[in-house]
Amino acid sequence: MHIPDGYLSPAVAGTTLLLTLGVLLIAIRKISSEKDSLNEKIPLFTALSAGIFVAQMIAWPIPGGTSLHLIGGALVGILVGPWLGVLSMTLVLSVQCLVFHDGGLTAIGANILNMGIMGVLTSYVVFRTVYRFTKKVWLGSFLAGWFSLTIAGLTCGIELGASWNSSLPVYVMTSWHAILGLIEGLITSSVVSYLTLKSPGVVRWS
Amino acid sequence: MFSLKTLLTLLVLLVLSPLFGVFLAEELGYHEPLDLVAEELRLNESEFTWTPLKEYTVPGLPDWLGYIVCGVLGVLIIILAGFVMKTMIRR
Repeated sequence: MHIPDGYLSPAVAGTTLLLTLGVLLIAIRKISSEKDSLNEKIPLFTALSAGIFVAQMIAWPIPGGTSLHLIGGALVGILVGPWLGVLSMTLVLSVQCLVFHDGGLTAIGANILNMGIMGVLTSYVVFRTVYRFTKKVWLGSFLAGWFSLTIAGLTCGIELGASWNSSLPVYVMTSWHAILGLIEGLITSSVVSYLTLKSPGVVRWS
Repeated sequence: MFSLKTLLTLLVLLVLSPLFGVFLAEELGYHEPLDLVAEELRLNESEFTWTPLKEYTVPGLPDWLGYIVCGVLGVLIIILAGFVMKTMIRR
């Protein structure tokens, strides 16, 4: 889902970059106000960021000719909190773009907005809401994982659609990612449920 | 920063990654949903590049080995960023 250079209009690329910078400033402020707990979270933040970077290099073939790799937005948001999760995804996406040209320079704002901001913040709200009412970690993390990929696909589709005055990208990106999101949900749910059982103290919300 | 077990797991995944990211991708020719949109709208990716490591390749190395080297480099950069953050927090 990494948008390359040439796919977005200058207006959309500029708007998404400004929005992303604005949210990143808020994220840094929020994180700075939690300095005491932050020190304890940095090892998990680093391990998750590295793990997501590697997991994104492993693309699984899906019948029908498409492929899927973990995005990880819901996973990192649930485990280290939404604002640190946004920074983790920003770090991963920036390394991918700046060092390996995975995603365009002009689209870096859009890519961080889709996968690093929308994919983390909205899925965190989904997780907290489902967990609050059901107390089921597996269900909350599954739905959060599914939602994170679907919303990232939808946002990406809106950006492409707005760039080329077409509704096709919205339908294609949302429908495909709503299907692929089931696998993102399964992986997110498995990892979060495993960590909850193995080291309950590690998860922020417990 | 984090445990030896985590590092070993990452290393095993990195060694296995070319199987999916290089060999299977070439054999099956699979693509992402974004490629379907690009095909329909006839979008062309810009040729401009700013790194010799484009798409996880290393000049002079076979694709599978370049993929692993890039993976290790990416992980090292992220670990370094983690150290920098930890140092900044301590101050």
